Order: sequence, then C-alpha cells, then structure tokens
Amino acid sequence: MTTEIITPIAKFIAEKILKQPSKVISADEALISSGLIDSFSLMDLALFIEDTFGVRVEDTELNAETFDNLEQLASLIASRK
Amino acid sequence: MALENILILAAASLLWATTFRNHGRTWFMLIASVVVIFWLQPALPIRGADFFTPVATLVLVVLTWFITTDDETRKQRKNIIILAIVAGVVLLLNLTRFVPQLQLFTASRPPQLETTLLVFLITGLTLIALSRLTRFSASILTVGLVLTIGLFLLIKIPALSLLLSSFLRTLSGQSLTNVSINDFRWMGFSYVAFRLIHTIRDKQSGRFPSVDVGEFITYVIFFPAFTAGPIDRLERFIKDLRAPFAGLTLEAFYSAGQRLLLGLFKKFVIADALALIALNDTNATQVTSTFWMWVIVYAYAFQIYFDFSGYTDIALGIAQLLGIKLPENFASPYLKPNLTQFWNNWHMTLTQWFRAYFFNPITRWLRSWQKPMSIPMMILLTQVATMLLIGFWHGVTWNFTLWGLWHGLGLFIHNRWNDATKAKSAAWATSPTKLAILNVSGILFTFHFVAIGWIFFALSSPITSWQVILKLFGVQ
Repeated sequence: MTTEIITPIAKFIAEKILKQPSKVISADEALISSGLIDSFSLMDLALFIEDTFGVRVEDTELNAETFDNLEQLASLIASRK
Repeated sequence: MALENILILAAASLLWATTFRNHGRTWFMLIASVVVIFWLQPALPIRGADFFTPVATLVLVVLTWFITTDDETRKQRKNIIILAIVAGVVLLLNLTRFVPQLQLFTASRPPQLETTLLVFLITGLTLIALSRLTRFSASILTVGLVLTIGLFLLIKIPALSLLLSSFLRTLSGQSLTNVSINDFRWMGFSYVAFRLIHTIRDKQSGRFPSVDVGEFITYVIFFPAFTAGPIDRLERFIKDLRAPFAGLTLEAFYSAGQRLLLGLFKKFVIADALALIALNDTNATQVTSTFWMWVIVYAYAFQIYFDFSGYTDIALGIAQLLGIKLPENFASPYLKPNLTQFWNNWHMTLTQWFRAYFFNPITRWLRSWQKPMSIPMMILLTQVATMLLIGFWHGVTWNFTLWGLWHGLGLFIHNRWNDATKAKSAAWATSPTKLAILNVSGILFTFHFVAIGWIFFALSSPITSWQVILKLFGVQ
C-alpha cells in the first residue's frame, strides 16, 4: 500500500520538482526541513497529491511538522483515503 | 522585556514548578500572563491608555474565543468562573489606584474604576448579544477576521495611528497639540493579532480544538512569548498545557536553565555590546570610511540575530520550567547556503504563519485559474507579496517596504537561478570538496545579501540607507 503511494510521488519530485529524473529519493529522506523542496514546489506537490489520490492536503499542513519525508506523507494520504 | 522582568518571571515560574507542581499550574500561567501584560505595557502619554491597552487585549481575546469556540464548550459553567477571576485580577490591578505602594504592575496610576466597569459591562453585553445571534458562525468569523486585520492596520499605518491617537486624546479630554504617532504603543499586539487570525482561519477551515476561555487566553498572551514570540499554534500549545505535569525534573531544570542562561548571555552580553557599534540613524551619517561602514553593518546583522534569538531562548527556557515546549524560532539562519533556506530558519514561526495563511492559499488560487499565468510570474508575485507583508508586519513605512521588496526579489531570483542551475551544479559538485565550495560560497553570499537588507530595516530613511550602501561599495 505504502509503496503504491510512495513510488509515484518520488517520481514526481525527482522529475518535476528537482529536474533530476535519475535521482532516487529514499522514504525517510528529509524533504522540507532539508530545503530539498521549496515552498512554491510544495504547492505543486499538494496539487499533484490531490489529483492523483483525491486527498486534500491543507494549506496549513504543508510544513515539516506535518510531514517531512515520503513515509510520513504516505501515511497521511493513506489515513485520508 | 528588561532584565529585571525576565529574572522575576523566571524565578516565579521556577518557584511555582518546584513548590506546587501540577496544582494550579494552569491557573498560575493564566493569572501571571494577565498581570504581565499590564506590567510590560510601557507608559503612554494618553491618560489611562497604558491601563486600557492591556484591557483591550483581553477583551479582544475573549471575543475571539467566543466566536471561534463550539456551542457546547462555550456554554460550560467553568468559563464564567474563569472570566470572573480574570476580571477580578484586572479590578485588583485597577484598585491599586488608591494604594500607591502597590502600583507595581502598571506604568502609571490606574484610571477610575467606573471606566473599567463600563468596559466590562459593554463586553458582557456584546457577548450576550453575540450568543443570541442566529446563524452564528460563518459570517461572524469573517467580521472578526476583518476587524482584527483592520485594528492591526490602524496601529501599524502611521497616518491612521495618528488619527487614533487624536481620537483617544479627545476622548480623555487632552489637548491635541502634542499628538504624535509614538503616542500609542500596544505592547505585544503584533503577536496577539497573529495568534487570533490563526485561530479564526483554522476555525473557518474546520480545525479548531475545543478549549475553554482560560486555555485560550493563556495561549494568546502566554507571558514568556508575549512580547517577542514565538507564534505557537493553538493545537500544539494546548497539548502541552493539558499534559500531566509531575513537577520539574532535574533534567528539565538543567535544560531550561541552560536555555535561559544562553538567552540572557546572547541578549544582554553579546547583543547589547554589539548595539554600541551597530548601524543606526546617527552613525550611518557619521561614518565616512568604507571599512568602518562594513563593521557597523556586520555589527547590526549580528546584534539583531543575538538579540532576537536570545529573547527566543529566554522565552523557551521560562516556558520549559512550566512544562511548555514552545516551538523553535531560529536554526542557525546565517549558516544557510541560500536565501530560501535563510527564511526557513529565521523567525521560523512567523514565516510558517505567512506560508500557511497567505502564501499557500494565494499560490493555490493562482494555480487554479483556467489560464494560469507563467510559473516565473506567479513566483515573483507570491514571493514579493509575502515578503512585503512581512515587512509591513514590522511597520508600514518606506524602509520596511524596501526591506520586504529586497527579500521578495531576492527569493524570486534565487528560485529562478536554482531552477536554471540545479542540474548543472548537481553534475559539477561530485566530490566533497566541490560540495563544500558551493556550500561555503552560498553561505557567504546569502549572509551579505541579508546584511545589506538589514540596512533598510535598521534605518528610518530610504536616502540614508542608499548612502550607506553606496559607501559600502566605495562609490561615495
């Protein structure tokens, strides 16, 4: 279940946000606190999640406190599906 | 907060935590916070204003709680008891009018009791009127939001605050000849307003925890964070407030004490020493050499950091004595390799606030257009607007506008630069040495960009600021 969620998101981040399609993002790698994803791209990610999984991520939830890696993000999505 | 305020508050908190442990801890935090907002309010030239400003803060907080809380919590009897006790504390402070020896917590002699009772009466009637309203929530929240923002603008825009001051002077029967924009300093209001807006917005999006009026007042005016933040989130704060507190452990005492001492050292030793040579309106026009101009600009950059992060350490330390873990506000911001990272680590709770309640909603809205504008245009617009607002939060002046613009454009340029060079620099920086070169040059560049930005922040006139910049680069 988690892999099904993580794989497309990891692909989206590497290709569209980081523009490094070959980059592998591990499930526990810090995304926000490390500065890997900036605040503007974070909204892209939120919209991608909404389109792909039909789950809304609120404006106030786009921060490292709510989720900082793919694993946490996946469980957030799974809990709302 | 002056050194004596901090030491007294830290000692009182320590005493409470070690003596009474969990007994009445939340009462202590509530009553201490109520007293502290009167204690920290500086004297104002308008009669009665330094007493009624904290009263206004309390009224505003209670009204906001009333419109944001759910029906069931609002109707609980304990709220009436809490409100009666808070009103009692205010009345006791007011009664020190008759005992000059006890006037320890107000900047000047408190006003006549009748006026305070009238304010209470009006507040009470407003609450009753509000509770009778049908179709309560949605529209009243919007009204609350607009009024809070309006009040914020009234205080922050010099022309409007002059009007307010004239009005208050007329109300108290004083002459208008000495009216000035410095008449009205509402201690802690910037932070109070932001906590209130946060709760109203969260209520609107349906995520507001049910809290009693005492918990809400404590959250908004919690004394360690009242004057200089951090801006906590209600949900997080309440979790700590409600968690069982078995008294202060030795470990927590050491950690809180360490934090407090570190803060005191940063603020009262380093920052205050740097203040002697840091850039200000006077020395900006006196310094004639490029070298010394850099020295005072650097001194200012470090002064503001040590001052502000020192206050944060003090707030976190005192709060920790009482079992509250306030959020961090600074994480080595001057050691970050780019401007985006700098802003993720400088006054973090403020930038997170702006991201959650302004930047993200605006970006989402722009993204949802049928024919969205180009990405660079969107980034330019959102970054500049956000940073301008952060500038205005400090004060609506030309220099804060320029400071906001400087950072907004800086963030936009960094974003574009990063987009264009990301792949290349990743391909180039293959060894640890190359990575270190990129990192160190990024840190130095970012620090200097921020330091030059501080010139607008430190000075009050755009012309002087420009002359300082010219001097830094040896042009003048």
